[in-house]
Amino acid sequence: MRFTIFQESRKGAREVNQDRIAYTYSRETLLLVIADGMGGHVGGEIAAQIAVRLFIERFHQEAKPILRNPLKFMQETMLRAHAALGSYANQFSMLETPRTTCVAVVVQGGHAYWAHVGDSRFYLLRQGRLIASTKDHSKVQYLVDQGLIKPEEVLMHPDRNKIFSCLGGMADPVIDLSRRMPLKDGDLLILCTDGLWSVYPHGEMATMLTSTPILATAPQIMREAEKRGGDEGDNVSAIIVRWGPETLADEPTTTENLALGQFETQVDATVTLAERAGGQRDLTDDEIERAIAEIQSTIQKYRK
Amino acid sequence: MPVTNQALPGGYALLNYRIDRQISRGGFSIVYRAFDETGQPVAIKEYLPSSLVLRTEGDIVRASSAENLTSFRYGMKCFFEEGRALAKINHPNVVRVLNFFRANETVYMVMRYERGRTLQQQIQMRQDQMSERFVRQVFMQLLNGLRDVHTHKILHLDIKPANIYLRTDGSPVLLDFGAARQTLTTNRPKLAPMYTPGFAAPEQYRDHDRLGPWTDVYGTGASMFACLAAFAPQAADARVQEDHLVSAKKIWSGQYSDNLLEVIDWCLRLDPLERPQSVFALQRAIRDIAPIKRKLTFFANLKRLLFSEIGV
Repeated sequence: MRFTIFQESRKGAREVNQDRIAYTYSRETLLLVIADGMGGHVGGEIAAQIAVRLFIERFHQEAKPILRNPLKFMQETMLRAHAALGSYANQFSMLETPRTTCVAVVVQGGHAYWAHVGDSRFYLLRQGRLIASTKDHSKVQYLVDQGLIKPEEVLMHPDRNKIFSCLGGMADPVIDLSRRMPLKDGDLLILCTDGLWSVYPHGEMATMLTSTPILATAPQIMREAEKRGGDEGDNVSAIIVRWGPETLADEPTTTENLALGQFETQVDATVTLAERAGGQRDLTDDEIERAIAEIQSTIQKYRK
Repeated sequence: MPVTNQALPGGYALLNYRIDRQISRGGFSIVYRAFDETGQPVAIKEYLPSSLVLRTEGDIVRASSAENLTSFRYGMKCFFEEGRALAKINHPNVVRVLNFFRANETVYMVMRYERGRTLQQQIQMRQDQMSERFVRQVFMQLLNGLRDVHTHKILHLDIKPANIYLRTDGSPVLLDFGAARQTLTTNRPKLAPMYTPGFAAPEQYRDHDRLGPWTDVYGTGASMFACLAAFAPQAADARVQEDHLVSAKKIWSGQYSDNLLEVIDWCLRLDPLERPQSVFALQRAIRDIAPIKRKLTFFANLKRLLFSEIGV
C-alpha cells in the first residue's frame, strides 16, 4: 500500500479537546478513526478515547495481516465501545454517560469500507468530486431528508448539534455501514468532525486539496477552520489520506517494508486520564487536577 | 552514593493534617501517621519514587533530572489508579481512602489508620504453627473484602501477607492497591509490571491476557501456604520451568484438615482455569471444610446441613 496521510486535532476555542483521532496500519490494511466525545467534564474525552483506543487495539488483534471482514470488524468494535461506555458510566456512577460519535474507515485490498455513528463524517473525493460520503445521524439531516428544511439552512439551525445515534448512552447506536468501494490512485479520503465540516464545505476542501500536496495544504485548512470557528469554535479534527503513490510533492508512506504482524500507529497527542501504560507521556497539571477531582468525587459518592 | 529522600518531619502541617511520624517507606512512597483536625489518626501515603525524585531538605519534591520529571509525572498515573480503585470500595476488610490531594509538587492519599500488624509480621513473629482456626478466620473475612473489590471490576494483583493487615481485634484489611488494575474497557487488562515472586500467579509474568479473579485467587492460596510454611511457595515463573512445589496436602497432612490443604493446592494450580474461578467459588470451598474431628450433635449436624443447603 502507498498513501500520504495527514492528521491533526485542534482545540478551537474550547477548553478541552474532546476529539480523538488515530490511524494505524499493517502491511496490508489501513485503519482510520475519529471520535468526537460529548458529555460533561471529562466524560466526552473519556468516551472518545475509549472508542479510538478500542479500535486500535482490536485492529492489532484482528488484522493478521488483514481483517477477515472489515465491515463486521468496525460494527463489532463500535458495539463493544458502546457497551464499554455503559459499564464505565456505571462503574463511576456518572450522572451523564460519556458519549461519542465515531467514524472509521478501513482500506484493504484496494477497497475502502467505512462505518459511522453520529455526525462525524467521511468524504471520498475523486478528481475534486464527491463520490461518496456518510450521512449524519442528526436531527437536521432528518429534517432535510423529510424536505422540511433546505440543506443550506442546516448550519444555522438551532438543533444542528442534536444527534440521534452515538456510542454510549441509553439507546443502542444506529451504525451505518458502507459497501465495498474500489479506490483509485489519487483518491482523497477525509474523515472529520463537525468542527471542520461546519465551517468548510467539502467542495472547498476538494478544490484546495486536489492539486496540491496534502501535507502542505491540510495544515492550512486546519488553521483556517479554527479561525473560522471564532470565539465559540468547536474542536477541529481531520484525517486526510491521498491514496496511491504521490505525484505531487508529498512523501508517500509505503507499507511494503512492514513485516508481517508489524503495525505503525499514530494516535493524536491529546490524552487523557485513562491511558494505557506503555506510551510514556507525562500528565499535564490540568490532567492531574482532573484526576484528583474525579477521585475526590468518587470518595464522596461512596462514603456511607 | 545513594541519596535517600527526606521524610516530612514530625509536626509538619500538610493541608489540614499534621504529620506524626513515618510508618513505612517503599520504592515509590512513604507512608506517615498523621492526625486530622479532629485529632483522629490517619495514614497518609506520599507519592515519592525514590529513583526519580529528590528531597534532601524542606518539603517540595523535585525531579532529580529533566527526563525523570516525565517519568515522575507518568508514574503518578499509577498512584491515581490506586486512588481511583480504592475510592469506590467501602468495605470493612479493604483499606478505606478518605482523601486525595496535591501538595509539595506531588500527590497524597489519605487512608483510615488501622492499629495492628501485617500478616507478614505475624508469620515471622510466631514460633509455633498457625492454627487452622486462625487461618480460616482471617481468610474468610479477607475474601469478603476481595469479593467486593472484584465486584468493582478491579483486580488487586499483589495479594501477599505483607499486604494483609491484621487489626488488633484480628480482623484483616487488604492494603496496597498499587498494583491494582481495572479490567475495564479493553479485553486485556492493563499491563501489570508489579508482582511479588512466590505470590504472583504465572500469568502475571507473561500472559497478561489471562489475568482475572483467579490471579488473585493464586495470591490468596500462596498467602495461606505462607501462613502454614512461614515461607513463600516457589515462584510461579520457576514453577512453570520446573515445578518443585510440594503440595500442601503432602506437607501438612494430619496437622490441618484435608480440605483446607486441598483448597490451598487448588488455588496454587499453575493453569488459571484449574483454580477456583471466583472468590465466591473459593469461599464456598473453604466454607465446606468440615471442622476437624468435632462431634456434632444430631441437631447441630442438621442445622449445618440445612445452612449449607441454603448457602448461608
